[in-house]
Amino acid sequence: MNYPVWEPPMLGGGLVIGIIAILHVFVSHFAVGGGLFLPITERKAYREKNAALLDYVKSHSKFFVLVVLVFGAVSGVGIWWSIGLVNPEATATLIHVFVWGWAIEWVFFIVEIAAAFIYYYGWDRLDPKTHLMVGWIYFASAWLSLFVINGILAFMLTPGRWIESPSFWTAFFNPSMLPSCVVRTAVSVALAGVYGLVTASTLRDIALRTEVVRYAAKWVLVGTLIIPLAGVWYISTLPPMAREISMGAAPAVTIFAGLSIFFSALVVTFTYFGPYQHPRYFNLTFAFVIAVLALSTTGVTEWVREAVRKPYIIYNYMYANTLRVADLSRVRQQGVLESARFVRHHQVDPLKPLESGREVFRVQCASCHTVDGYNSIRFAVKGWSSDMIEYQLLHLNELKGFMPPFVGTDAERQALRDWLLSLNPQPAPREPGSPGVQAETPAASPGASKP
Amino acid sequence: MNPVIPAPVPIPLPAPAWLVQLLLVFTFILHLVPMNLLVGGAVILSISSYLGRRHTHHRELARRATRAMPPVVAFTITLGVAPLLFLQLLYGQLFYTSSVLMAWSWLAIVLMVMLAYYGIYWFTMQQEELGPRAFWVILLTALLLLYVMKTFVENISLMQQPQDFYARFLAGAVGNYLGSNSPLVFARLTHFFLAALAVAGLGLAILARSWKAEAPELAVWAHRYGLRWFQAGTGLQFLVGLWFLFSLPAEIRGIFLGGDRLATALLVVAVVLAVLAMAAARKSLAASSVAILGTVSLMAVIRHLVRIAYLRPYFDPHTLPVEGQWTVFAIFAVLLVAGIATVGWMLFHFFHPARAV
Ligand code: HEC
Repeated sequence: MNYPVWEPPMLGGGLVIGIIAILHVFVSHFAVGGGLFLPITERKAYREKNAALLDYVKSHSKFFVLVVLVFGAVSGVGIWWSIGLVNPEATATLIHVFVWGWAIEWVFFIVEIAAAFIYYYGWDRLDPKTHLMVGWIYFASAWLSLFVINGILAFMLTPGRWIESPSFWTAFFNPSMLPSCVVRTAVSVALAGVYGLVTASTLRDIALRTEVVRYAAKWVLVGTLIIPLAGVWYISTLPPMAREISMGAAPAVTIFAGLSIFFSALVVTFTYFGPYQHPRYFNLTFAFVIAVLALSTTGVTEWVREAVRKPYIIYNYMYANTLRVADLSRVRQQGVLESARFVRHHQVDPLKPLESGREVFRVQCASCHTVDGYNSIRFAVKGWSSDMIEYQLLHLNELKGFMPPFVGTDAERQALRDWLLSLNPQPAPREPGSPGVQAETPAASPGASKP
Repeated sequence: MNPVIPAPVPIPLPAPAWLVQLLLVFTFILHLVPMNLLVGGAVILSISSYLGRRHTHHRELARRATRAMPPVVAFTITLGVAPLLFLQLLYGQLFYTSSVLMAWSWLAIVLMVMLAYYGIYWFTMQQEELGPRAFWVILLTALLLLYVMKTFVENISLMQQPQDFYARFLAGAVGNYLGSNSPLVFARLTHFFLAALAVAGLGLAILARSWKAEAPELAVWAHRYGLRWFQAGTGLQFLVGLWFLFSLPAEIRGIFLGGDRLATALLVVAVVLAVLAMAAARKSLAASSVAILGTVSLMAVIRHLVRIAYLRPYFDPHTLPVEGQWTVFAIFAVLLVAGIATVGWMLFHFFHPARAV
């Protein structure tokens, strides 16, 4: 309500963040897991005096640097950029609660980057022991930065005791922080294997390729074995409503949750019967299939994680449209246009009620809906009568658990209703209510929604 | 009409405003060093890559100097995170508003930085294979970086002028604002750009010394060439700096022209240090570097004073409630020291590989 609202057409802010975040998650978990993969494999090569394997680790580290240091780091900054644009209020809140956490993460980030460069440029300069040590330093700092950022992410879904007793510690050590950290660590291990499969599949030496492919496949299998166990623990810490949303209350979310399980099962099956059982026949195409499946798993899982947090951006504290729960009754009384700062008119403009309706939508709904693209509102209200829309607006949060309640004055609600009505051509039978002349709450719910 | 400015978050600051300001300015200085090397370096490399088609020295310079660039990009980004974090903590309600108003060009920075980063790697790893096309790669990279620089200047300038927010909001769809392109912005941008060329020139002169063993003649030439950039960049700065100073609003310019003793003194010292840095350049690179680092640091402080002056009528972070999170801060401070020590340890081994078995 505080900031101007940016409405990226078609995508909506949520999807802008989503696209950047999914790519970042896919790479940043590799940044952690790969950080474990490199020194462990390097050590294995030294122990077995396997020069060919060592060469592989070297070439893998180049790939690692190009993917992780550049794409991983910049896309991470990209998430920060996008959340600040799409939800400045929530970003500012997180920064106030966690600034020292972020500062700590920044220290790890610096060590991580320095270690990655020294590891990569140090192959021929450092003695094996020091080089290996640099590899471990890389992994330690990468994992620690995951540890910190995971606490902040988990906080958004399960702020737990912070709501009553706000402090850094209640916020950071929130209910889902630990299980989520285990899940993410396991994902990192699995993804390290996936990327390992990609680079291993291009090796020319057949004996080496067979060995490394099977070895990388083990990483995938070990990682994916831990995920469901930790996943159950994670889910048990979620707020009940979030669990319901993923398990039937919202069909789209349930489908995606199902897809997440389906894709990960495919990753396991393909890896087990492919590179693990038959490493000889493994090739780059097969590796890409597994990588794409892994990316799809990441994508749908992150999407579900975002979806179950609805209607909140910070659970029980701030709604996705930046309204604080604590401000609800004030805004309800004052009116949403009056409370918002960047609007053209602070009252419904009697001359242009539709424009005011559009403005109410921008301030209150555009964080989750676009007009014509993702989660399109035009589509959502297609075929609805004025009464039906009115009824929905009065019960937004009850009919759909993943929406915040509508807040605002009667005039604002009516302006929004009329604007929503104007989005689609009206079928003839019933006269659409004109502003100012409409029945108040309809007694019966037209086209009763799902329970 | 009162300016429309979002309210700050209703959560107390986790540290007193002076501490956050200190960290903001300090980490910004850390960011400035690699940032200058990156932007100036990309421009100097573009020129050498072009001239290198005929001159062997330039060709060799481009080939060797670019190897230092990947870590420079990485640290420009990494060290840029912290000042932006502290900026958002203190001035979030201003910074987010200006960012949202120019959302598209602001978000584009992410893509531009990514492309520029890959551009640097491409140029570094495949200069030979690229042949004459290498010039286009590095030129495009330099242009991308200039875009990033310009957008930063626009955003940070707008953020300091909250009285313009509402008019900007009314002027068009939120997110489509491309910047004021005002003389002030260009003066500021040119000022930064020249600084980047100068610092990168000095960096080149220092780097060239490490080529002495392998390519003595090139090392001497590149050393001199780098210093020429440094001196030309710094020398021109006396004009551009004045231009910048005089495009500031009179009441803000005034504080540096005697209106505020501390501010005036800082500016004078910064300028004197720059003169000394130029004078010392041929004799002692170390002395010159220390002096110019002093100038850069003071300029960062001065820049902060300018911000405070701009915002005085609208917002003073010292009025925000504070509830220090001192334990976490202490952990941060300890980890920062430990982190620097770790990096130092790694660098030591990297540059003293003699002990290798
Ligand atoms: C927290 C995010 C969020 C906010 C804020 C939000 N919505 Fe929704 N809305 C959703 C989601 C998610 C759906 C479900 C889409 C689906 O089922 O595919 C939805 C569905 C709807 C539907 C269709 C309901 C149905 O029965 O099919 C309408 C109408 C709607 N929203 C109107 C609004 C209006 C009006 C506002 C602003 C007052 C708003 N929403 C704010 C997330 C949100």
